[in-house]
Amino acid sequence: MVNNKPFLVKGVCYSPIPIGQNHEYDWWSDPNKSWLVDGKLMKDMGVNTIRLYQSHEDINEVKQVIRDMYEKFGIRTVIGDWLGFWEYPCPFYGDKRFQERVKKGVLEMVTQLKDEPGVLLWTLGNENNYSCLNRVNSWSNEEIDKEPDPQKQREMRSKIYYSFINDLTKEIHKIDPNHPVALGNGELLGLEYAKLYAPDVDLVACIIYRGKTFGNLFNSLKMTFDKPILLSEFGADCYDAYLGKDDQNMQAFFLESQWRQIYENIAGNKKGAGNCLGGIMFEWSDEWWKHDENNPDSWSVHDIESNWSNGSYYFDIKAAGNKNMNEEWFGLVELSDNTDKGLNKRIPRKSYYVVREFWNNPQAKPKNKRQR
Amino acid sequence: MKKFIMVLAVMALAITTIALAEDKAAKEFVVYTDKNARDNHYIPAGWMGDYGDIKMNDQSAENPHTGSSSIQFVYNAKKTQNQGWAGVYWQSSANNWGSKKSGFDLTGMNKLTFWARGAKGGEVLQKVVIGGIKGTYPDSAVVEMGPIELTDSWKQYTVNLAGKDLSYINGGLSWTITSDQNSDGATFYIDDIKFESDSTLKPEGKLQQAMPFYIYSDRSSTRNHYIPSGWMGDYGDLKYEGVCKEDPYLGDSCIKITYNGKRAQGAGWAGMMWQNPANNWGTVDAGFDLSKATSLTFWARGVKGGERVEEFKVGGIMGEYSDSDSSSIGPVILNKEWTQYTIDLKGKDMSNIIGGFVWSANVDTNPDGIIFYLDEIKFE
Repeated sequence: MVNNKPFLVKGVCYSPIPIGQNHEYDWWSDPNKSWLVDGKLMKDMGVNTIRLYQSHEDINEVKQVIRDMYEKFGIRTVIGDWLGFWEYPCPFYGDKRFQERVKKGVLEMVTQLKDEPGVLLWTLGNENNYSCLNRVNSWSNEEIDKEPDPQKQREMRSKIYYSFINDLTKEIHKIDPNHPVALGNGELLGLEYAKLYAPDVDLVACIIYRGKTFGNLFNSLKMTFDKPILLSEFGADCYDAYLGKDDQNMQAFFLESQWRQIYENIAGNKKGAGNCLGGIMFEWSDEWWKHDENNPDSWSVHDIESNWSNGSYYFDIKAAGNKNMNEEWFGLVELSDNTDKGLNKRIPRKSYYVVREFWNNPQAKPKNKRQR
Repeated sequence: MKKFIMVLAVMALAITTIALAEDKAAKEFVVYTDKNARDNHYIPAGWMGDYGDIKMNDQSAENPHTGSSSIQFVYNAKKTQNQGWAGVYWQSSANNWGSKKSGFDLTGMNKLTFWARGAKGGEVLQKVVIGGIKGTYPDSAVVEMGPIELTDSWKQYTVNLAGKDLSYINGGLSWTITSDQNSDGATFYIDDIKFESDSTLKPEGKLQQAMPFYIYSDRSSTRNHYIPSGWMGDYGDLKYEGVCKEDPYLGDSCIKITYNGKRAQGAGWAGMMWQNPANNWGTVDAGFDLSKATSLTFWARGVKGGERVEEFKVGGIMGEYSDSDSSSIGPVILNKEWTQYTIDLKGKDMSNIIGGFVWSANVDTNPDGIIFYLDEIKFE
């Protein structure tokens, strides 16, 4: 509910990095204000929410973006914090000083932004739970190191991490009782521990890449951590790594199918689990720096090489080494080398129109028949 | 002359059209009835796996089911090609593995029947498959049935094809047999193989399997399901023995897995997935409905104790036809003694499971590789 009215999140992840720049680019202070161009296109499509992964050091610039999006286009903002996940050498969640430092940053952000009418909710972390499972950015402490059983180690890490999340949540609730707090989580992994140690979070914001179907996701969540779910990152790329060509039908096919499942599982729809609050597609526009982030020359090249494999996106899974996910090709709009008023031109892809049509008439039968 | 050719062409077209129409209206389409029968289609030319272990006599006069002959197969289980299994495909043209467009449009047929018997009874065919040949001209359907334990007298078997797209079938029928299930070999006979049209037949919904549902009981058990075909990561580091007699937990055999940790493919990890059918990474609409299962249990032990398996898992295959759910445990440090492990499936959607069981391990935690044993893997 937003202002006492049901609100279905129809969102996009927003990271408007121009061609030739990387993630360190300060788009917030870009005088060309990309969000004003993007906000208009988003509004025309039906987008009502953007997701920003992290705030910015100049909080006034953040406020301006949130305010512009809301006042000019009626688009709300989900804003999050990485919780130090990418800090070198690893996020030391087992260290109280690390926790305090992260907490301080999050609470400052909440304090500064809580009165912005455009703020929809806060997200804590993204896929940080994978660090508890030793999958990425693994961390430990002396107590964990002494434990020989890896399953117990995992439980110990999860207890520390989700307890920290709960602590943060309670602190945020004290400062800002008006906006929900979401636990960012990769898939549903580790949520059995969230149930034990993070009962105060209001909802789960899951990152899910399962192709055309979310499978048993919604019902499975009910069995593990019965909170509402926002699909805070999902989607499909539009490059066929097997055939070596742009395939906008493929992306549109997956996105339409994913939205259909989201609608089947929103509150009030008896067909599904009734626990879904909506979704945020990854992502609004392509990011050309992602394939080879340490090579500035490649930031001006729309790389077609894939970094990872996911069999759920089966049309191009026969690509060499099964690497079929093209990280630089997830945008609903593509960026052109040509510029207009200082910005790369935005060219909506087929998925932009297909999702717009679906949102306008979710009962209609699928039209985008991308098949083998 | 031109006119004559035109007339011939029109006649040929008319004859072809009529033949097609007759075929469509036909009640049956024969794969094999008797040696040299005029209405035989398909040729048992696609020999697979340990093809050197197979002998075929396609005009065996030894007690045919009908007519003058049946086909006798003798499988000696000697693993001539070191595969541990063998099989034969009836193909629309000899050795056509999808490279030639010689398959048949069997639209209108909705079942395949055949008669089979073992020389002694008890011979086990791992499965029979209709369609499923890929290549440039892939079959439009794949349907499998099995395992089948043969009796010593003729018995008819029926594969329900209702609702399947039979518009292009190059692989009319195949059978496969494994040395695990027939360690002393097997002699068996097949006769009267036909596609048929049966107006009373309805598409087969997925049968909810009764529990317990075994993945592995014993080497020759017909209760076994799924095939350990999905070798992942450094697959060259793996050795699978399905007939290990080194202190099985129950029965006469267990599974022995050797992972030598030599990074044959440079991945640094390896794993093995039990699939249905073999090598199905979500490309084939198959799998079992295990909705009645609330857990998967198995017994495991390490050869030394202390071996670390990162994950034991059920489901999780993602593709065009994904597993309906997944569940896992791990990492698991194995004991030297047999220990039972349980993967909880309560609340999981087990209605369609292609990947019945999987394990994975890596060299980071097992630099010298591991040897471990599995037994009594079953859904309960």
